[in-house]
Amino acid sequence: MARQTHLLRVNGREHEILAEPNRTLLEVVRDDLRLTGAKEGCGTGDCGACTMLVDGRIVTSCLMLWPEAGGHEVRTIEGLADGSALHPLQRAFIEHGAVQCGFCIPGMILAGVATLERTPGATRAEIRDGIAGNLCRCTGYQKIVDAIESVAQAPAGRD
Amino acid sequence: MTTIERPRYRAVGEREPRLEGLHKVTGRSVYAADVQLPGMLHARLVLSPHPHARITALDTEAALGHPGVVAVVTADDLARAARDGSNPARGASNRADALFADREVVFAGQPVAAVLGESYAAAEEGAELVHVEYEMLPAVLDMEAAMEPDSPLARSPVSDIDHTEEDAHVTIDVRSEEAEGRATNIASHVSFERGDLDEGFARADFTVERSYRAALVHQGYIEPHATVAAYDAATGEVSVWTSTQGQFHVRDTLMRLFKLPETKLRVVGCELGGGFGGKMIQSATVATACALVAERPVKLVFTRREDLLAATPTPGSVVRLRSGITSEGDLTALEATVIYDAGAFPGAPAAVGSLLISSFYRWPNLRTDGYEVLTNHVSVGAIRAPGIHNITHALEQQIDAMARGVGLDPADVRLRNAARTGDLMASGKPFPSIGMAETIEAAAAHPIWTRRDAARARSTETTKVGVGLAVSGWLGGLQPASCELMLNSDGTLNAVVGVMDISGVNTSFAQIVAEELAIPVESVSVNTGDTRTAPYAGIAAGSKTTITMGRALREAAIDVREQMFAIAADQLEANPADMVLAEGEVQVAGSPDRALTFRRLAAITTGFGSLYTPIVGKGAISARVQAPGFTAQLAELEVDTVSGNITLTRWATVQDAGYAINPLSVEGQMEGGTGMGIGIGLSEEYLYDDEGHLRNAGLLDYRMPTAADTPDIDSVIVEVPSEEGPYGARGVGEPSITAGGAAIANAIHDALGVRVAEMPATPERVLRALGRLAD
Amino acid sequence: MRHFDYARPTSLAEAVRTLRSLGEGARPLGGGTDLLVQVKEGHLRPAALVSLAGIAELDGVGLAGDGSLRVGARATMQEVADHAAVRERFSALADGAAVVGSYQTRNAATIGGNVCNAAPSADTSPPLVALSARAQIAGVGGEREIAVEELWSGPGRTTLEPGEIVTAFVVPTPPPGSGSHYERHTPRKVMDIAVVGVSTQLTIDGGVVAAARIALGAVAPTVIRAVRAERSLIGRAVSGEVAAEAGRIAASEATPIDDVRGTVAFRRYLVEKMTSASVLRSAERALG
Repeated sequence: MARQTHLLRVNGREHEILAEPNRTLLEVVRDDLRLTGAKEGCGTGDCGACTMLVDGRIVTSCLMLWPEAGGHEVRTIEGLADGSALHPLQRAFIEHGAVQCGFCIPGMILAGVATLERTPGATRAEIRDGIAGNLCRCTGYQKIVDAIESVAQAPAGRD
Repeated sequence: MTTIERPRYRAVGEREPRLEGLHKVTGRSVYAADVQLPGMLHARLVLSPHPHARITALDTEAALGHPGVVAVVTADDLARAARDGSNPARGASNRADALFADREVVFAGQPVAAVLGESYAAAEEGAELVHVEYEMLPAVLDMEAAMEPDSPLARSPVSDIDHTEEDAHVTIDVRSEEAEGRATNIASHVSFERGDLDEGFARADFTVERSYRAALVHQGYIEPHATVAAYDAATGEVSVWTSTQGQFHVRDTLMRLFKLPETKLRVVGCELGGGFGGKMIQSATVATACALVAERPVKLVFTRREDLLAATPTPGSVVRLRSGITSEGDLTALEATVIYDAGAFPGAPAAVGSLLISSFYRWPNLRTDGYEVLTNHVSVGAIRAPGIHNITHALEQQIDAMARGVGLDPADVRLRNAARTGDLMASGKPFPSIGMAETIEAAAAHPIWTRRDAARARSTETTKVGVGLAVSGWLGGLQPASCELMLNSDGTLNAVVGVMDISGVNTSFAQIVAEELAIPVESVSVNTGDTRTAPYAGIAAGSKTTITMGRALREAAIDVREQMFAIAADQLEANPADMVLAEGEVQVAGSPDRALTFRRLAAITTGFGSLYTPIVGKGAISARVQAPGFTAQLAELEVDTVSGNITLTRWATVQDAGYAINPLSVEGQMEGGTGMGIGIGLSEEYLYDDEGHLRNAGLLDYRMPTAADTPDIDSVIVEVPSEEGPYGARGVGEPSITAGGAAIANAIHDALGVRVAEMPATPERVLRALGRLAD
Repeated sequence: MRHFDYARPTSLAEAVRTLRSLGEGARPLGGGTDLLVQVKEGHLRPAALVSLAGIAELDGVGLAGDGSLRVGARATMQEVADHAAVRERFSALADGAAVVGSYQTRNAATIGGNVCNAAPSADTSPPLVALSARAQIAGVGGEREIAVEELWSGPGRTTLEPGEIVTAFVVPTPPPGSGSHYERHTPRKVMDIAVVGVSTQLTIDGGVVAAARIALGAVAPTVIRAVRAERSLIGRAVSGEVAAEAGRIAASEATPIDDVRGTVAFRRYLVEKMTSASVLRSAERALG
């Protein structure tokens, strides 16, 4: 099986990756780039724990072959904060108690980012729709929706 | 909302965001599957495709010849893993020991072998090349048929039932009797009796007799089972990074199975991606065996399919009830049969399920028989409040039906008959302090209940609105706990605990230390050590962590305080009894200028030539009295009578937390358990075909609720103090899962006038109950 | 995942040549959200995947001069669902694309993949059939065009020859007075697979039905048309009774199976009720 080389741009940094093409974007980002924030919960696109942003749109990285991401801008949870300054959603998740075991949280926050991008000022129902691809078993979604809503309804929007 | 006036404290009782939240929202927390070691192999499992068969041949040659495959490990190879050459899987009668099927497979999905590869793909391809020949044996798939004397046996007879799953969660005096010596699928039987049933039914004005079913369901943690195990042949050391609720339990099991000395064994319980009773030990045994055989590090992460097929979900059940009530609303008699489908290994919660179905209400006359039945379904384990959502679904529909039968308010009937502190459980042991009645009262006063007529008035021809109430609870477990607490040189404190933080307990522990030492929560760091660095701790299960380890932390903080008082008194030439704490200082009461800061205390107890010993507090407790928690839940829903679809519109979960040390995390536990209860009530179930193969081994068709399926949940905390819990706290993790399915079922009846006796209440079952669908 | 080769051609011609030369073991790769699941679960064992990601000819959603709609095979579900003209004039297709999986799925999943995986439960297939869509196909021998329902020969099977790729779907402009609709039944609100999917398109002229198409998903080996139910509507004013009759006829045209998502009886019941409801909804849209 021939390995292939492609450029992968992750969180603003370009990586030249040499790997077999039968691996997913999730595997390469976790195992080769050692960015383990994105998780594999099902491997079949049904739980959203592996969610990454590709060109600003959320995808399940467990169902994308890594060479397919070549030429695109990939963003993971590790690239969301600006240095030590957390994204407002990250802060809101902590403050509202939206984080329990934390396994779904990296994907959930990115789904929240996409939801607010698509629907600024999203209602609770729109937030629930926006994160419906991300399963959480700890929270009953209550405080996750609270956290995203607090940012959606913040006067300045996202700061 | 609280129903009684809360005692005032400075640190406990506050809404405290989780200490490790920052790590989790930035993707920094390390879970077991994140661990990567040099030279690490990947393990893939070979699972049995058949529910019951004899292995007649197992050929690994083709797999071993595949490029990148390093080894294949089967039951026969386990003697190479155990340090004394014994084989732990041989004749194993409990699931933890039966790493691989040994000659007989007893459920579809049972691991038969593991293939170790240099890459994941190589292992995966190798696993397909392991050739296994099976001779089919009759599969036992129906728990009621399995109880018949002429039923085929689900497996070769077993003895020495392992009760770890049950004991981890609950401490009760009764144990179901094992059916030793007889060839039967009934693994154990328990019974409770009180009064005279005939007399009880004779006194009843209304009697209800019904049968209820609950499906086998998965705990649904989002992180599949995962372990990285390493064996260093040069030093004999074994290190295991794993996803578990109890790292000492993993250590003890590995020690027992592989005859490893504990000095050479280190188990690191990683950040846990959800457990809910299902993360005791599954991947750790297999991965460790593989590492010992291959003498290289091995990573084993279950696929979701494997986790559904081969982990330990929680049992389905049949509950048959006959019960009576007087027209005044007094319960007169209960006759109950409770049957759990244990799957292929014993371990179902027949004892606690039978005990609690008999004990929540004051039945003057009762007879309950509980059975744990072996079948060729996947072997089961615990879940939050194991077994209780099953019996609650039956009991609370029964209570609802009886109340309606005599024209009384179902909340009133519950309150009238609810168990109170000191009432005898069916086992004869009295309830410790409980808040069941207070919990029901709070639910009955909730707007969803008081305004249910207005909700029902929204009904249209094809959309029917209903409101349902259900009540349940959990006794809670007990296990000793210990911890250490050390004063740092900057005056802050480090605590070391060995219990896994699955619900935010470390944050509560920090609050407790901060409370006792009058310092900010930020000045306390609570650290989870591994099994070689942390003092002993039990399994984080059974809603017992806060009430046991929390007490230990409180003791440790008091120990530190006393040590500081003694040293400060000596330095300040005062009496230790006159010392007080204030803002990071020890002061002489009434003379704030005569004080030593914590930082100074640290300096004089750790400096060169110091006359004082370093300040290290110890907390070690043995728990005696349980702190049961009760919940009452209100579901408001709409049923589409054409499609059978159910939409939850409002929800309230009321729960007695004893004292909410951290209300934010208590609410989190209530909401999380409620979410699971909703899934169990509406959409989650193991669906087997007629031959015993699981048909929905994936998260598309094993349907856990999404955010769009889940309503807003109003959490109402009731606080009736427990006897022994710190500040009166009770266990809060488990009660919240118990009542959701029953509340939904009662709401469906309220909306439609028919009962859906089988859980989950899927659209198809709703339509059948309505008679819209021919069989 | 098991090993396979991967190629990423940059033109349609190259893709066709590559697929052709790799033979039966090669599969075109669209968004991967269905294909890779099948590979992971061992249902498919391709020797090679030929990525369509680099082929600009397959992109885009837009109206042609004659008002017909062209949906490139690589258009994602979200693009289709969000496209203003699709929502307004080809509503059934927007209805279908909008309910596939999650946002994550829809941002990656392509309409070409959804249709060509030939699942009878695919959410864009019944709408395309109801809307009389045609599939444009490129192959070594050139291009051809067929009615979309001629693409499927069974569950997971298509009539495509090795080397052939669906490049686009062309949907004719509905006549004035037309309305279309797609709905599916799922136990969860989202993130689910159709137990039954029903799509209808009605053209109403002078108060009566002039043309009707009804397509049923997940109740036969492929998406099917309920032709007798369609005929029952022609020349009649749509009413609750007329719609209910069409529903009953459609139920008799379905040939569902029992599986993990539903029984035969449940599926037939749903076809009846959902067809009836969809006819009413399309009529509403036609008149609105």
